[in-house]
Amino acid sequence: MVKERSPWLKALLLLLLILGAFVSIIPFLFMVSHSLKTIAETITRSSAIPFDPKFWPQVPQWSNYRVAWQEARFGLYFRNSVIITAVTVGGVVITSCLSAYAFAKLRFAGRDLIFAILLSTLMIPQTVLLIPNFLIIAKLGWIDRLPALTVPFLASAFHIFLLRQFFSQIPNELIEVAKIDGATHLRSLISIVVPLSKAPIFTVVFLSFIYTWNALQWPLVVTQTPRWRPITVGLSVFITEAGPETHLRMAGAVIAVLPVIALYFVAQRQFTEAITRSGLKE
Amino acid sequence: MRDRVSLRPRKSGRRNHSVSENLTGYLFIFPSVLLITVFGIFPVFFTLYVSLHKWRIKRSRFIGLANYREMFGSPLYLLLVIAALLCIAFAIYLIGRARSNRKALRAGSGVIVLLIGAAAVAVFLPYLAEAGDQGMFASLRVTIWYSLGTVPVQLALGLLLASFLYRKIPAKQAFRVIFLLPYIVPSVASAAVFERLFSLKPESFANQVLALFGRPPAQWLLEPKGIFFLLSGQRMAVSSQSVIGNYWLGWGQGPSLALLSIIFFNCWVFVGYYALIYTNGLSNIPRQLYEAAEVDGAGKLTVFFRITLPLLTPTTYFLTLIGIIGTFKAFAHIYVLRHPAARGEVDPMSVQIFFTFFRKSRFGYAAALSLLLFAIVLILTLVQRRIMRERIHYG
Repeated sequence: MVKERSPWLKALLLLLLILGAFVSIIPFLFMVSHSLKTIAETITRSSAIPFDPKFWPQVPQWSNYRVAWQEARFGLYFRNSVIITAVTVGGVVITSCLSAYAFAKLRFAGRDLIFAILLSTLMIPQTVLLIPNFLIIAKLGWIDRLPALTVPFLASAFHIFLLRQFFSQIPNELIEVAKIDGATHLRSLISIVVPLSKAPIFTVVFLSFIYTWNALQWPLVVTQTPRWRPITVGLSVFITEAGPETHLRMAGAVIAVLPVIALYFVAQRQFTEAITRSGLKE
Repeated sequence: MRDRVSLRPRKSGRRNHSVSENLTGYLFIFPSVLLITVFGIFPVFFTLYVSLHKWRIKRSRFIGLANYREMFGSPLYLLLVIAALLCIAFAIYLIGRARSNRKALRAGSGVIVLLIGAAAVAVFLPYLAEAGDQGMFASLRVTIWYSLGTVPVQLALGLLLASFLYRKIPAKQAFRVIFLLPYIVPSVASAAVFERLFSLKPESFANQVLALFGRPPAQWLLEPKGIFFLLSGQRMAVSSQSVIGNYWLGWGQGPSLALLSIIFFNCWVFVGYYALIYTNGLSNIPRQLYEAAEVDGAGKLTVFFRITLPLLTPTTYFLTLIGIIGTFKAFAHIYVLRHPAARGEVDPMSVQIFFTFFRKSRFGYAAALSLLLFAIVLILTLVQRRIMRERIHYG
């Protein structure tokens, strides 16, 4: 774009960016530092500015994490979240690939109409679906069970749409050739289309991972005991029902954000790419 | 286009494969279609069904539109307000058309229609709110304050950051990663931190900032009073004899300080996301335009207002819509940050619906409320699409 002329301006710009970055991470530093304090320190020796020594614990209390993991049951919640997320992400990838392939590469009666109807569901806010879906799940006897947390999310019109866009750009000749060699459509999906579509499939994985891991409202409604509570629900219940135990809350928060941040740092570019494409988060 | 061309060779062999291809197609889409039908399409009709019943956990009896009557009170005021709103929409359309055609007369009539519509809303809305469900209208007001408090700030800061990030700067990728961090983590966890940062304790972050300016500590998330009211030193009039005066005085107090704290949180979460989308929009602007402008000797401000901003219009519209709809759907962080002391002054519609359903177990009424939310979101989406289609040639 326009070339920078003044080094002062550039320095000022950089300073502002650093300030912004600082604002972005202070809450995370607060989370970590306060998760390592004693309960007394969180009350009497607290500050919100990292340059203040009171921001940090005198002696890091690593045992807080053991207490949070076991007594506050964040270990159980974490395990639940891992299972729920793994099942959902796996399911979404499979159903979306199959449907996207059908909509992009196969010709069958009513294809475009069905696709249009699926797409139109994207305009429906989750709030509208909350009550009827709760009644459906209750009728199925799934309250407090794993299927309540996964089955409704095993298919996603948005991800079908996203993958179909990409699949239709793959030349049909590749599939024709495979067909002549006797490959079924399932075979050409698995060995031709999927290997060519790693980037969009990663997008689906990341987006549904974040979406599932971060979800609160639905799991809050369909879990009544800790049995299958994901970490978000566990944390929110702990905040609204337990005492003012800031250090344990913050330890729980760290446990909740850690997998997301870890994955984010491993695959920054794909993640950023995925979010740029999404445009669909509450 | 590409689709059609590459499909052509398949048509010759279509007859042979038709049956099996049909079958494979249905088999492949079956899981998704089944799940989306059961949990995505059928529920919409089911919600409508629930909303026509008295339904507390279990269905009791059919009550027709009674839930909707409870929401709006009198159908007369509702119709009047809707008519007034349509009037305003029509006026905006007229003025927009007149501006592009430069027709003074049409613009003038547009302004008159606008004034009539606005006056009608100003008069009838208070009566509607008085007759209807107080909680619902309060949540609608919260939602609107919430949109007004978050979307413009996020757009401005997002664009600012994006224009910084777009230049040649060191550690660009690191900045991007950090700015997006608040957006991707579970908002329950980050809200848990903000719940401490904006607590009423004198040593909380928000109160330390106030102390820097020599102000006494505030209640923040626990403060249901409006910020304009607080800034006026609590001397602002809060009630009046007339229904109309009373209603608009309620607006005049501004969003509650508790909601303002949540607005800060929202901006913290979303500015990085807005910057990311804007960076993307900036990189789609052809470089030649800037070069041409430079040749013509245009100043930086001119370039920004004449090239950058107009060409970013589609992005801005998109982000505005996402932001507004987001406030209608906002849930997780408000669930964590809301405190009983704030007396519901932070609950936008989605939260209000959730508690009507989950805590009060009024399934029928909550279903009716959720359909109202659906209608609002749908109208916003359609308006947005319309604008995009009309404006797209600018961008």
